[in-house]
Amino acid sequence: MAGKRFILGFILGVASIASSWFTGQTAQASCGAVTCFVVIGSQQQVPQAGLLTFNTIYNYTPMRLLDGTTGVIPAIDQHDQRMILDHHREIRTITQTATFDLNYGVTDRLGIQVTIPYLWRTHKHIDGLGEENGGRGELVPFKDNGIGDVTFTGKYNILPTLRSMIVAGFGVQVPTGNTEALDAAGHTMEAPGQLGRGQVGLIGSLYQTYELIPHRLNQFFYGSYRHTFRNNDGYQFGDEYNLNLGANGVPLESAPWLALTGQFTWRYLVHDNMSASLERSARPGDPGFPGDPIVLDPTILNRSVPNTGATYFAFSPGFQASLDGLIDSPLTKMSSVYFYAQLPIMRDSNNNLAQGTSYIFGFTRSFQLTQSGS
Amino acid sequence: MSRKKNYSQLAGVLLVAIFAVAVSGGLAWSMGSRVPVVGAPAEDFRLVDLEGKPQSLSQYRGKVVLVNFWATWCKPCTTEMPAMQATYDKLREKGFVVLAINELEDDAKVREHIKQHGHTFPVLMDRDNRVANQFGVFGLPVSVFIDEKGVVQEYIKGGLLTEQLILDVVAKIQKHEPMKAVSLR
Repeated sequence: MAGKRFILGFILGVASIASSWFTGQTAQASCGAVTCFVVIGSQQQVPQAGLLTFNTIYNYTPMRLLDGTTGVIPAIDQHDQRMILDHHREIRTITQTATFDLNYGVTDRLGIQVTIPYLWRTHKHIDGLGEENGGRGELVPFKDNGIGDVTFTGKYNILPTLRSMIVAGFGVQVPTGNTEALDAAGHTMEAPGQLGRGQVGLIGSLYQTYELIPHRLNQFFYGSYRHTFRNNDGYQFGDEYNLNLGANGVPLESAPWLALTGQFTWRYLVHDNMSASLERSARPGDPGFPGDPIVLDPTILNRSVPNTGATYFAFSPGFQASLDGLIDSPLTKMSSVYFYAQLPIMRDSNNNLAQGTSYIFGFTRSFQLTQSGS
Repeated sequence: MSRKKNYSQLAGVLLVAIFAVAVSGGLAWSMGSRVPVVGAPAEDFRLVDLEGKPQSLSQYRGKVVLVNFWATWCKPCTTEMPAMQATYDKLREKGFVVLAINELEDDAKVREHIKQHGHTFPVLMDRDNRVANQFGVFGLPVSVFIDEKGVVQEYIKGGLLTEQLILDVVAKIQKHEPMKAVSLR
């Protein structure tokens, strides 16, 4: 809790320092990649030296069952190290995330980034299949909000030119998110529903952009890989592979403040893994149904968690409006807003909840903290 | 394995393949960006001006040259251009020249901008970004002061040029005073 307060205090502190600094400074001194390229999502880039980019991103992500899937999945009891097959029926998860992203250019090629997510999560599932309520289980809602896992990233611009940029990044995700939240029945919520992963994660990334038509159209690629270690509850989140390919364009020369974007996203999640014994819910026909789960293997072993892991392919159209170009005011200098929707094209959710259409709003503002020059 | 999963994996492979092609294309066009060292000779270049005449850096040997990389869409660039024009007017007869190198824009647009603002210094067109890469330019504007012997004396990133700053730098170069070591990048 003290950690959360510290992080919130840190965010507010940086924001207020940056705001107060800005009121006494003049506008930017140069067009670096972040300020003058046609790009959306400047958090992937290395800002020019001395430039602090502050991104606030709101993300609404619903997850529901796909047609033809039942949503029956295992229960995860991380405290007692039990995995009980066919014990839950998933209904819905809605995650809202406000991400505060600070991106600073230490030099023109080296950048550091801190990403702080704040999440609101609501989840509904039927718990106790085979046990409660004649074996039909009971509805157990869950909700939690708080800071998720904070990521610290170092980035290096491998190819700095006017037209293109290749940025390699290495991030460390620290387990600042809660892993002990309780559901409405008073039990510890299962690990995948918690706000944090409970252990350090390592993220490697590569960002590439090239101006196909200078200052009018650029393509970009972003790829990342995350590996999270096993947490103290014996739960390990599966590795994540993420690829994005897209383009940003200024459709009207007379309105350079408006850029349109389109990108394809492919994400592959490996099965989660858990150190647990293996049980299954009682089924009709089992002696004593409805009743306690049946033990299949009492040995505590590292086991893949069925129904975790997913493949997701989506298209995200959107736009970015530069407030700087739209409104001539000191308050809008180096600021822009953006919005895009992520529309699923193909989803393989492994009989679990699948990500639906999600919406992302963002506000970006940059502050030149130190003047570039000779 | 389901057909849906096959399609999904195919989509991922396709994204990687398209990325590889894009990167290899981008690399071929834009490798070699190096910031020149202050005190070292500036590498020569040859570009055409707005009238289509070829111009080279070496033809200005014996003069102090301000090489300025710019574009019409770059506000800090256009903000400092009046100062460049003013010093060019003052010092052009005293061994000073401005070479404004435009990056990746079409002639008509640049010509219109130059005409509108009444600039008279030579404007060269770096159509393939080659000279910008040669001078390690990956943000605009960049100004490089080169002395009479063709040696880089100052490398300035960002829209910091004022008339006084240009006058001071040119005076120092012409007096052969040593430049700031901080310019080494």
